[in-house]
Amino acid sequence: MEAIVVEKLRKQFDPPKGPVAVDDVSFQIDEGEIFSLLGPNGAGKTTTISILSCLLRPDSGEARVGGFSVTREADEVKRLIGVVPQDIALYEDLSGRENLMFWGRMYGMSGAQLNKRVDEVLELIGLVDRQKDRVEKYSGGMKRRVNIGAALLHKPRFLYLDEPTVGIDPQSRRSILDGVKDLNAAGVTVLYTTHYMEEAQELSDRIGIMDQGVMVAVGTQADLVRMVGEQTRIDLALDRHGAALAGQWREFPGVSTVSEPEDGRVWLLVDDANTLMPRLFDSARTAGARITEINLAEPNLEMVFLHLTGRALRD
Amino acid sequence: MRALSIAWKDVRHVYRDVAGLAMMLVAPLVLSFALGAAFGAGDSFSIPPVKTVVVDQDGGAGAGAPAAGALIAETLDGPEIADLLTVTRADTPEAARADVDSGEAGVAVIIPQGLSTALMGTGSAQVEVYKDPTLDIGPAIVTSVVQSVVQSLDGARAAALSSVQLATSLGVTDPTELSGLAGSTAEAFGAKAGATAPITLEERAPVTPGAEAPKQPNVASQVLLGMMVFFMLFGASAPARSILDEHREGTLARLFTTPTSRSVILGGKYIAVFLVVLIQSTILLLAGRFLLGADWGELGPVIALTLTGALCAASLGLVTVSFARTPAQAGAVSSAIFVFLGLISGNFVGTANIEGPFATARRVSPLGWLLEGWGNVLYGGSWGSIALPLLAVLAFTLVFFIVASLFFRRRYA
Repeated sequence: MEAIVVEKLRKQFDPPKGPVAVDDVSFQIDEGEIFSLLGPNGAGKTTTISILSCLLRPDSGEARVGGFSVTREADEVKRLIGVVPQDIALYEDLSGRENLMFWGRMYGMSGAQLNKRVDEVLELIGLVDRQKDRVEKYSGGMKRRVNIGAALLHKPRFLYLDEPTVGIDPQSRRSILDGVKDLNAAGVTVLYTTHYMEEAQELSDRIGIMDQGVMVAVGTQADLVRMVGEQTRIDLALDRHGAALAGQWREFPGVSTVSEPEDGRVWLLVDDANTLMPRLFDSARTAGARITEINLAEPNLEMVFLHLTGRALRD
Repeated sequence: MRALSIAWKDVRHVYRDVAGLAMMLVAPLVLSFALGAAFGAGDSFSIPPVKTVVVDQDGGAGAGAPAAGALIAETLDGPEIADLLTVTRADTPEAARADVDSGEAGVAVIIPQGLSTALMGTGSAQVEVYKDPTLDIGPAIVTSVVQSVVQSLDGARAAALSSVQLATSLGVTDPTELSGLAGSTAEAFGAKAGATAPITLEERAPVTPGAEAPKQPNVASQVLLGMMVFFMLFGASAPARSILDEHREGTLARLFTTPTSRSVILGGKYIAVFLVVLIQSTILLLAGRFLLGADWGELGPVIALTLTGALCAASLGLVTVSFARTPAQAGAVSSAIFVFLGLISGNFVGTANIEGPFATARRVSPLGWLLEGWGNVLYGGSWGSIALPLLAVLAFTLVFFIVASLFFRRRYA
């Protein structure tokens, strides 16, 4: 059952000359799945999630959440969604509990129902002991957890998380990823944006890869990896002549992509690494250079992104 | 309910900001204290009593004639001008002058021997007012009092002479009878003149419609009113800027993702600004009452003006914020606007000093109207005297609120 349907969304900031943040983006999310939007900064992930949160109006196209239009039935949509913004959006001079109470009231909750739910959420995010401390005294990870907790108070059917693990320690990150899985297991449909390939791989039932406002591919991880076939990524470090060798290697049969050298490092997407590697060493030796480091990587989402866009996710 | 939650959160935020509180509460009180102390904290504009030394060498003019020296000395020491002069006596002119020279006294009044005789006869005498050259007002008061008494004694002499001439023309020739007539006439004139204080000081309040009992507010209360109305704007500015703060910190966007409408959010913000200003003005009014002895006037109009002022300040605060992009920009813009409004409205000169064309000109500003209303109530006015100012301020408030709402909706559409 399709829970979220996005059709040909387009959004341009400061038209007519401003950047097109989202261009003809379409996808759908099924009830109960975790769907990740994967892409580098500026890919259009946050703009897409903002449109689905009724924060931005699309220039064209349509999006429906739980059967309601984000443009014409925003109030209905807002009751169904919980939004975890990319940046911490809390009141620093209020305590963790006061923040949750406030955000609960904004969802129309009150009295004993609100108190009970705040207790549950504090338990869920592991901040019962620190609930009376002001948020300004929390660590980054604790703030992130309250940031998420505030979106869970009204038990949303759909949870949007916009890069929720940026800038936090590995332990908090682990806690958040496990929490998202638990919520999903409890029936919450999750829309998750990230530029971390590992998170998308670990969490997602399906993944949409975005780049420069365009949805370049959508599918399960297996579907997407198949797009790059049996290719292998070779990462090399050279002591000299990187540019010349990269140009030479682009002409080799079985090499689909070679990156521009950066600080002596080059990567290649190749069909058969075993056959090609001796030729790489030979050509380097002939050019008077030396390969100082070499790594092989099996097909993954990073390679998919490379294959589809010619750029690394971290670019 | 949601609007009140937003308002409560914002009010708490403001009252946790120590610097903001100092601006809202301490600054107007300190300024009022300072200016009140400078101009006197009594019931009106006042000066300290002038220390006056009197030397009375006049022995009087004989039976039946007024003792001019004693009359001058008694008048200077009379209860009617006790607030203006503190009178002591000296035995000799030299001692009195020495007191002035040493700064012990501001003025010395030296009444010469034979003053009464001179007044009743043909001789002359001169009352000397010896003063500290650095003083103006005190010696002027003393001189005025002495002149007044001397003039009344001159009148007594003229009356005695007239009565003698009249009796003579009617055929009375007995010197004893004529002397008695002159003495009784002079005594009667002197008594008549002495029954009325030679100087009366009267302060007049502006005559305002509905003012049933004009009263005299003290200086500090007048200053505090101007300061309170001015600093109410700064009180409104801080919570109004919270819209921009929340925009920057992402909580406003998050609010927009909840099923809370933009109208409720703006309404909550407006209530917060209103409550902050209302609390601020209430504290200042109470502080003025109990610390500065201010009598603000009839309770009903005072409450109406306080509420209307808070509404207007809240609307104006939101308008000034709606033009700005960042909190810093809003702070600079609103401060400039507030100071300009304060200047053209007379916030810095006290309510009592506004009259003439400026009183009309300041009506272009809501603060001008508000101060006019407050001034009327302060001087004893009632509902009738504040009806027009209240309506004008409410009209400004409505316009400001509409403008702020339009800007808010357009910016966050």
